[in-house]
Amino acid sequence: MSRLTTGKTLFLLGVLVVLIIIGLHFSAGNTDELTPFESTTRETLSPVQRVVSVVSGKVTDFFAFPVRLYKLSEHNRQLEQQVTELQEKLAEYNEIKAENVRLKEQLSFKTSLAGQLNTVSAEVIGRAADNWFGIAIINKGSANGIQQDMAVITPAGLVGRVTNVTNHTAEVLLITDPRSGVGCLVQENRAPGIVEGVAGGSSVVNMVHIPSDLAPKKGNRVVTSGFGSVFPKGIPVGTVHKTRREESGMFKMATLKTFVDFNRLEEVLVITSSNVDPVT
Amino acid sequence: MQPLSFLLFVLLAFILQTAAFNYIAIYGIKPDLVLILVILNGFLRGPREGAFLGFAAGILQDLVSGGYFGLNALTKMTSGYLAGLGEGRLYRDNRVIAAGLTWICTLGAQLVFQFLLLLVNVSVPVPAALAYVILPTAFYNALVVLLIYGYFYRYVQKDQSNNAEFFNP
Repeated sequence: MSRLTTGKTLFLLGVLVVLIIIGLHFSAGNTDELTPFESTTRETLSPVQRVVSVVSGKVTDFFAFPVRLYKLSEHNRQLEQQVTELQEKLAEYNEIKAENVRLKEQLSFKTSLAGQLNTVSAEVIGRAADNWFGIAIINKGSANGIQQDMAVITPAGLVGRVTNVTNHTAEVLLITDPRSGVGCLVQENRAPGIVEGVAGGSSVVNMVHIPSDLAPKKGNRVVTSGFGSVFPKGIPVGTVHKTRREESGMFKMATLKTFVDFNRLEEVLVITSSNVDPVT
Repeated sequence: MQPLSFLLFVLLAFILQTAAFNYIAIYGIKPDLVLILVILNGFLRGPREGAFLGFAAGILQDLVSGGYFGLNALTKMTSGYLAGLGEGRLYRDNRVIAAGLTWICTLGAQLVFQFLLLLVNVSVPVPAALAYVILPTAFYNALVVLLIYGYFYRYVQKDQSNNAEFFNP
């Protein structure tokens, strides 16, 4: 190849790279809407992804069976010990629960979160291809009443929110994604903060901007605060693992252990409407 | 490997990666099969083809997955080019060398990815990125290459002998 042709190729390549970088920069704030092409591709790929996902699950189950059997026998022994301890605690708990019910009735509180949420269940059929972003694709879309910015949970706790929707699929931004931010409270001392993801692949999330005088302790529970219009109040997020001072020195931050196991996310509930009072 | 069959492989790899690889994730980290294909293709074909087909694979991934357009195209192009620099310099029959190259190219690609994330205002602290994403992905990709390189190399050789005319961008 002549030097002229090589120079021309390099010039064209340079122009292409610069154009993509400029395009990337300007399209950064516009990821909440899918293009018709992306939407059609996702609709087309979703049945294939679902089949591959189900088959992979079965294959993994098959190969993991002997290991699971061994773990189960170990687990069973531990559980038997725990049952004895828990029976004692149960009696104590029933006493406290009865007292709690009486007090709540007196205050006319609605306390059951589940009873106040209307949900649509969905299967996770795909995850982000890379390890940077925390994204899940579910098999329900606008045809099932799913809309953008609906909160997504499992019985264990908060999963994330819907970011874009096609007819039969929806994309969920998980709370582990670095672009996610959820207003939360420490249940024990009511300290406010924002729960942010670190890297999509890991299950690590941080609660930042916690007032220094309200630093949470290890094991404290973190729930959604209900501020903003996306997440209803009181959805469990995780427990405090460790706390440290933020770089600015003005606030504390805490690393949380999430209640939801994001590595084994198979089914989720999308909250289509809630009657939870956001300010109580 | 002809470009069309390569892109078909990329599409299949993408589907596996999104739908099945979560079952083999270790601490939430899964191998990047599309990146592995791009790296191995670059290693066996040289920097020009490696960069071009890396770019094509990245564009395909960007189109199918939605999100930031160009992020994967630039990352995969870089890794294809980097891997291509090993062609003719490194012994290509050895899977350990291929795994080592994959480790280095994945590291390079992931660092480019992190830099590009800054352009779209996504900030991942460097220590967290290294600990939770970059290094684990590099090791996992290298491990996968150790396992699959023999099959891939034999397939490409067979494909080359069946197709006398090679692709030249």
